[in-house]
Amino acid sequence: MADFQIRKGKDIKLKGAARKEIVELAPPQKVAVQPRDFRGLKLQPAVKAGDAVKVGTPLLKDKTHPDIKIVSPVSGKVIAVNRGDKRLLLEIIIESDGQRNAETFRKFNSDELKSVSREDIIKTLLDGGLWPVFRQRPFSKVADPHLSPKSIFVQGMNTEPLALDVDFLLERSEKEFQTGLDIIKKLTGGAVHLCVSAHAKSKALTAAQTVQIHRFSGPHPAGNVSTHIHHIDPVKKGDVVWHIGAQDVLRVAALFLNGIYPSDRVVAVTGEGAERRCYVKTVEGASMSSILEGNLKADMRYISGSVLAGTRVDQQGYLGFYDSQVTVIPEGGKRKLLGWLTPGFDSYSFSKTFVASFLPEKEVGLDTDTNGSERAIVLNHIYDEYVPLDIMTFFLLRAVLAGDIEECEKLGILECDEEDFALCSFACPSKVEVGEIIRRGLDLIEKEG
Amino acid sequence: MKLFEQLLKKVGPLFEKGRPMEKFYPLYEALDTFLLTPGKVTKRGPHIRDSVDIKRVMIFVVIALVPATLMGIYNTGYQILLAKGLAADFWQCWILGAQKVIPIILVSYMAGGVWEVLFAVTRKHEINEGFLVTGLLYPLTLPPDMPLWQVAVGISFGVVFGKEIFGGTGMNIFNPALAARAFVFFAYPAQMSGSNVWVAVDGFTQATPLAIAKEVAKGQSVVQGLSDAGFNFYNMFVGFIPGSIGETSALACVIGLGFLLITGVASWRTVLGAVLGLLTMAGVFYLMRGPERLAIFALPPHWHLIMGGFAFGAVFMVTDPVSSCYTNQGRWIFGFLVGVVTALIRVVNPAYPEGTMLSILFMNAFAPLIDYFVVEANIKKRLKRA
Repeated sequence: MADFQIRKGKDIKLKGAARKEIVELAPPQKVAVQPRDFRGLKLQPAVKAGDAVKVGTPLLKDKTHPDIKIVSPVSGKVIAVNRGDKRLLLEIIIESDGQRNAETFRKFNSDELKSVSREDIIKTLLDGGLWPVFRQRPFSKVADPHLSPKSIFVQGMNTEPLALDVDFLLERSEKEFQTGLDIIKKLTGGAVHLCVSAHAKSKALTAAQTVQIHRFSGPHPAGNVSTHIHHIDPVKKGDVVWHIGAQDVLRVAALFLNGIYPSDRVVAVTGEGAERRCYVKTVEGASMSSILEGNLKADMRYISGSVLAGTRVDQQGYLGFYDSQVTVIPEGGKRKLLGWLTPGFDSYSFSKTFVASFLPEKEVGLDTDTNGSERAIVLNHIYDEYVPLDIMTFFLLRAVLAGDIEECEKLGILECDEEDFALCSFACPSKVEVGEIIRRGLDLIEKEG
Repeated sequence: MKLFEQLLKKVGPLFEKGRPMEKFYPLYEALDTFLLTPGKVTKRGPHIRDSVDIKRVMIFVVIALVPATLMGIYNTGYQILLAKGLAADFWQCWILGAQKVIPIILVSYMAGGVWEVLFAVTRKHEINEGFLVTGLLYPLTLPPDMPLWQVAVGISFGVVFGKEIFGGTGMNIFNPALAARAFVFFAYPAQMSGSNVWVAVDGFTQATPLAIAKEVAKGQSVVQGLSDAGFNFYNMFVGFIPGSIGETSALACVIGLGFLLITGVASWRTVLGAVLGLLTMAGVFYLMRGPERLAIFALPPHWHLIMGGFAFGAVFMVTDPVSSCYTNQGRWIFGFLVGVVTALIRVVNPAYPEGTMLSILFMNAFAPLIDYFVVEANIKKRLKRA
């Protein structure tokens, strides 16, 4: 019920926005489920190569909480269970048979939904394989169904570069969205916070009931979950907060109303290197080649997610579980003569060391060049300009690198996720991987704490 | 362009692991990335990066130093001609000045460079660009008559004990250029202080304005004393006076400051804090002035800003991001105390006419402590929120 104006951060006007029209794609031939998406779970395969599966058939089960399953988004046949170094489970690939044979789960009508208990909701989500849509803070891992969160955050906005417009997506889905919210409300004794952009117009976001609506304006990372949680209900040691994305709220409603695993996903195809840039309706875990309709060029970087927080996948890669965006940008690597000395009429920078920074800002095409070599941190003060979490970033980095867990916690690492520092890594002249260091710190604390 | 790339590609393999020249890879890499951008791509998110890198940041500081360097060269020649009673011919000033100053700068870069390469090769890291700045800052703090071997010894001390033993660029506690100057100041006092060194003419004696101000007798007017020696606010601001090579012209330093502020390379808080600190402490002394006090008490506070090495130190030394405070509040305090201590040393310390170098090194040691309290405040705020 509050408005927040975020001042720290910066929007990158990246070229390659997606046209706001939803195109239904041909179903993908192959989909993949990738265990690395599900932080905090020790997943073991429940199928092997050659097994027939339906939509909703369990593919992976968590060793610690066997009731948490990852299920197949398509019907067809398992063609590969790939492992990497040290038998690390990389992916399970399924070849789709083009049909929609589905496992059936418990269905609810609207009256039943009004009176369903918290335990039944959790059981339905677990059985239906949809539980992983709930993630928890600290540590950004899949929520523990045995814990009760102090509040739940619904991420109704996304400020990542070229991100899918949640408002557009929910334009005509206010009933389903509200159904999803009502179900989610029962999972916590605290509040459900729906965080939306101050410019949101859809009824789903602006007129939602039984939740607290908060409006955020300002540059990225105003749309990040950490930003929302920090301003509304900060997390400290011992707290548990859950969060869920807006598209997944619709999926929760769909599971309860239809009794079938909802594998459809709307994805924004973005970036200079993408041929057809629009919103596509595809399936969870779809192959990049199906999302990009076969237009895969060499010398491009394919990213599941945004240029800041997304994962690099190669041309044979697949959409990540939590991603609703695909970005394609040119690979860098061209060597320029005395590049560091140029006046820089065309060089994009957050700093004021290029002529371009003094000219009016226009849409820019960026490649994956690091634009410099790694050095020790010299300009230690610039990080905080892009972190709206009241965190002293340089000191936190130092505490992580020194392995000082107590100092990390005192400096607020539990409020953070790697994605909150993407702009710091972008802007750092020393090319420091700030987010990676924070991630290491969080992993260390999770292990030892 | 292509030619460079091909040449470098041909020579590169000689320096790879297992090859005979493997040890000297940092030298190859320095030349390679000096000429061409490294051409590396991101391995993980964020997949895009800013165009700025440390090379560019450092070169911008060097660019900001150019006005002070040029002015230093010209002024050195000008003072020589003045001392010899000759007419101040424009080109003669440049030539004479260059004859004195360029060798000092070259020796500084070469001697320091040898140590940089040695440490890079031994520690197996790339040669860091921070030395481009230190190598130019240090000569500008020296008198124009400095023997070249002392220049070399000084920068060696500064690079090794001021920076490398702490871990290199980004790890130093003290400003390396200032550490170098402090070393030669205490090791070779006859060449670094007194009245014989500020004009590059053998046997010529001329004290700096600050030294003169300190010697004015009690009860006399310090402004009058300076004016009798030929110094007024204008010529001390522009800088056609004797002194260390780069420090005489506050004007050149201000131009450099403007460049550093517009490009966002220097922190304005540190500089403004230093100015305020100096004005405040000098103001206190000014209010206390009287016939029973030292004459220098009555030096108008704004004169302090342009005299001695303060302008140079406030723009180029105090702003070194690694050896000053890392927090915004800390920067104010750090700068302010630098100004205060500078005024204290100048006015009431009988031993030194100039206090800037000592006060900056002194505050360098306290910067982490100041930051500690700022961070503690952040931690307490977070705990209270719980």
